[in-house]
Amino acid sequence: MTPELLLLGLALAAGLYTAWTIGANDVANAMGTSVGSGALTLTAAIILAGIFEFGGAVLVGSSVTGTISKGIVQIELFEPTGPLGADGPRILALAMVAALFGCAAWLHTATHFGLPVSTTHSIVGAVAGVGIVTFGWSGVQWLSLLGIVASWVISPLLGGLIAFTSFVIIRKTILRQDDPVAATKRLGPYMVAVVVLIMMLSFIYKALKNRLDSPPLLPALAASAFVAVTVGVVSGILIRRTQPRPGARPYDYVERVFAMLQVTTACFVAFAHGANDVANAVGPVAAVVSLYQAGYSAVMSHVTVPFWVLVMGGIGIVVGLATLGYKVIATIGHQITEMTPTRGFSAEFGAATTVLIASSLGMPVSTTHTLVGGVIGVGFAQGIAALNVRTVRNIVNSWLATLPAAATVAGLLFLLGRAIIF
Amino acid sequence: MRSLVGLFARSPFGSLAEHAARVHEAVELLRPLFEAFIEGNWDETQKVYERISKLEHKADVLKNEIRDHLPKSLFMPVDRGDLLRFLKEQDGIADRTEDVAVLLVMRRTVTPPDMRAAVLDFVDYLIQTSAAWLSAARELTVLQEASFTGPEVEKAIQRAKDISDMEWEADKRQAALSEKLFDHEAEIGPVGVVMWMNVLRELGGVANHAENTADVLRLMLARR
Repeated sequence: MTPELLLLGLALAAGLYTAWTIGANDVANAMGTSVGSGALTLTAAIILAGIFEFGGAVLVGSSVTGTISKGIVQIELFEPTGPLGADGPRILALAMVAALFGCAAWLHTATHFGLPVSTTHSIVGAVAGVGIVTFGWSGVQWLSLLGIVASWVISPLLGGLIAFTSFVIIRKTILRQDDPVAATKRLGPYMVAVVVLIMMLSFIYKALKNRLDSPPLLPALAASAFVAVTVGVVSGILIRRTQPRPGARPYDYVERVFAMLQVTTACFVAFAHGANDVANAVGPVAAVVSLYQAGYSAVMSHVTVPFWVLVMGGIGIVVGLATLGYKVIATIGHQITEMTPTRGFSAEFGAATTVLIASSLGMPVSTTHTLVGGVIGVGFAQGIAALNVRTVRNIVNSWLATLPAAATVAGLLFLLGRAIIF
Repeated sequence: MRSLVGLFARSPFGSLAEHAARVHEAVELLRPLFEAFIEGNWDETQKVYERISKLEHKADVLKNEIRDHLPKSLFMPVDRGDLLRFLKEQDGIADRTEDVAVLLVMRRTVTPPDMRAAVLDFVDYLIQTSAAWLSAARELTVLQEASFTGPEVEKAIQRAKDISDMEWEADKRQAALSEKLFDHEAEIGPVGVVMWMNVLRELGGVANHAENTADVLRLMLARR
C-alpha cells in the first residue's frame, strides 16, 4: 500500500470513527428530552433522529466544512512550493488524519472521565495543535481561532435569549391566562406555523443553497409561508380534536399539546445538529480526499465536499445512534424529566435556531452548549424548578481544557505519523 | 450530553410537599393524644407521644435532606431564602406538635370534665387549619408547572388568606379556653392551671406556624 492510499484509508476510518462518536453521544441531546417528557417513545425518537440527522448532514453539512480545514491553519503553507517542499500536500493529509484521531481520542478519554467536552471544540483544538507542531506558533491563524472561540461564548447566549423569549411568550399568552386550555387551542396553531416558517426558511437558505444559487427571497418566502400556513391549519384541527382528560389539570392539557410542538423542535435540533456536527468528522476527510484526487501535487484553497463523503458522515452518525446512542437517549430521558414539552420546546427552538445561524456563517459551535444555554434561558424565565448554575463553570472549564488537550494529542500523533511515514 | 444532565438539579417542590405530609400526619395525632389524655389513659398518651416524636424526627431528616440539596449555586424560580423560611416554618408546626405531646406526658394533669369537649373542638380546629395549609403546600408542584403565574397563583394566595383567618380564629378560641381555665382553679390546682396554659399556648403555636408558612408562600408568589 502506498503512503498516499494509506493516508486516504486512515482519513476515512478516522472520519467514520468521529462520526460514530457523534452519533453515539451527541444525538441524545436532541431527542433525550422529548423521550423524558413522554412526547416520544424511544423507538420513535431513534427513527426520527436518524432521519433528521442524516438529512441535516447530507443537505446542509457542507457549508461548515470549509472553516475547519482552512480557517485555522494557513493552507497555502502546505503548497509544494511552500516551506515543506514537495511533501507539503502529503503532510497536510497526515495533519488532517492526526487531527481526526486526536479529536476522537480526546473525546473518548474525556467521556470516560465524565468531562462535558464538545466534538466541535475537540476538532478545532486538534487542527490547531497540528498547525503548531508543523509551523510553530505562527502556523495558526490566531485571529480566526479567536473568532471561533468567541462564537462559543455567543452561541449559548443567543440560544438562551431565544429560549427565554419563547418561554416568556408561552407564559404570558397561555400559562398566565384564566383558561390555559382555550388559550392553547387558540394560539397553538400560530406557534406551529411560526416554527415551521423558520424551519422552512432555514431549510431553503441552508440546505438548498448547495443545489440552488441564492434562492430569490420572494418565492422562498411565499413557499415557506404556504407550508407554514398549511401545517398550522392541520395542527389546528389536531389540537381542537385533542380534548382535556376529565378531571386533569389544565396544564396537563397544555403540556400534551406542546408535546407535538416539542417533537417538531426536537427534529429541528437533530437536523441542525446533523448539519453542524457532521462537518467535524467530514471536513478533514474531504480535505484528504481532494488531496488524493489531485495526486498530492497541489493544495486546494476551496475544498468542495464530495456528496459521498457527506453520506459517509451521515451513515457514521446513524450507526453510532443505532449501536450506542439509543442507550444514551434512554439515560438522558430518564434523568431529565424537568423538560416538560413547554420548556423543552422553548429550549430546543432557541438552540436549533442558533446552531443553524452559526453553521450557515461557517462557525463551528457546540450544539450541546447551545442547548445548555437554551435550558438556562428557560430557567431565567422561571420555567424550571432548579438549575445547577455550576454546570456553566464546567462548560467554561471544558472550553479551557479541550483546546490544549486535543491540540497536544493531535500534535503528538502527527509527529509520530510523520516519523513513521516520511 | 453530561453537561445537559448535570444542569438539572432535584426539584425542591415535591420534597417540600412530602415534608408537609409528614408534618400533617403528626398534627393529626393530636386528636388521639388528647382523647387518651382527657380520659386519663396515661399508657396510651405515652404511646401516641412516641408516634408523634418519631414523625417529628422523620420530618427533621427530610428537612435536612432538602436543605442539603439547596446549594447557593442553584437557580430557582423562587427566592432561595423564601424557600428555606417556608421549610423552617413548616417544620415548626411539627416541633410545636411534639412540644404539646411532651407537656402531656410530663405530668398527669386532670382535665376538668366540662372543658373536655371544648379542648377536643380546639384540637380539631387546629387539625383543620393544618389540613388547609397542607393542601396549599401540595399546590407547590402545580404552581411550578404553571411557572408561578396565572389562575393557580390567585388560588394559592386565596388559600394563604384563608389560613390567616383560621389562625385568627384559633387565637380567639385559645384565649376563650384559657379564660375558662381559671374557673377551675380550685378543682385542678394552680399547677394544673399553669400546665394547661402552657399546653394551650403550644397548641396555638401550631396554628401560628401554619400561618407563617402560608405568609411565606404569599411572599414567594408576590415577588413577581
